[in-house]
Amino acid sequence: MAQTHPVAAPLTDAALIAAWQDGDEQAAAELVRRHARPLARFLAGAGAPEAELDDLVQETFIRAFRAVGRFRGQCQFRTWLLTIGGNVLKDAGRRWARQRVVPLDEGLRSPHGDPHELAVAEEVEGRLAAGLARLPRMQREVFLLRAQQGLDYEEIAAALGTSAGAARVHYHHAVKRLKEYVQ
Amino acid sequence: MNDHDVQDERLEAQARRLGARAAERLDVERTAAAVVRRLREQPAATAVWWARPAWLRIAAAVALLLGGDVVYRGVRVAGPATAVAGWEGFNRLSSDQLRALIQSLDEPLLVVPEEGLASSQEAGLEDLSAGQLRELLSSLEG
Repeated sequence: MAQTHPVAAPLTDAALIAAWQDGDEQAAAELVRRHARPLARFLAGAGAPEAELDDLVQETFIRAFRAVGRFRGQCQFRTWLLTIGGNVLKDAGRRWARQRVVPLDEGLRSPHGDPHELAVAEEVEGRLAAGLARLPRMQREVFLLRAQQGLDYEEIAAALGTSAGAARVHYHHAVKRLKEYVQ
Repeated sequence: MNDHDVQDERLEAQARRLGARAAERLDVERTAAAVVRRLREQPAATAVWWARPAWLRIAAAVALLLGGDVVYRGVRVAGPATAVAGWEGFNRLSSDQLRALIQSLDEPLLVVPEEGLASSQEAGLEDLSAGQLRELLSSLEG
């Protein structure tokens, strides 16, 4: 009979954070591997140009690791990270406005996959992104945290420092306005 | 399921896909290596959480509404206590003053009372109680 070896459970975010605070750089790298893509999706959904995504993701993690001593576990690490990402994007937006930087047109990227499907997907995505850009920041972030990241209102409220009821109100308004815009 | 729900579901499905292709193109290993390198090379900067623009904007609006009294309480108190002074200011504001404060902020804002959500009945600021207005202000922080 073949012997089974116990599989080590993956470290929790809390354990990785503690390891990073003890100076373990690989723990920080693992947290980046674990959360970089959801963060990139959130930032892209909130209006970040793809050409800037890598820089914005890096900057978000840098700020998060610098401030991790103030993270009290009021929400998941990822949710906390996403809210920091929102601040990083806001700061970057101000900087781009000052420098009058025009991000590369999304259409200039080299496409992958079926061109027709890509065009349709990009059109839908573009309309939604444009609608999101018109929303107040709080509505936009609550909508993305809820609809894109699948978080519940309690979690969103804890991350954004508001109540679940207020988060629900913001979500409701975001959906209403997006439907008007997208459809 | 009515048309309203179908539209909501379609929108949420679109939202779940939003940014997915861009995120897939991110080179996570390269990003992780860059973050670790920057953490090693760059000294930490001190973050000043209470100096965030939204708080300053709200504090300024409260000060304008309440005049010298809140200016004294909000400006003379240094550091994190500024935020506390802001909340004390909120508690001292009437419902009309709270509405004026919310309307003075530059972000467009529509509100519905929480109990009205099921019927999707929309309401304006004038329909909210002082407590709900304070809650809404707290949600604007950051």
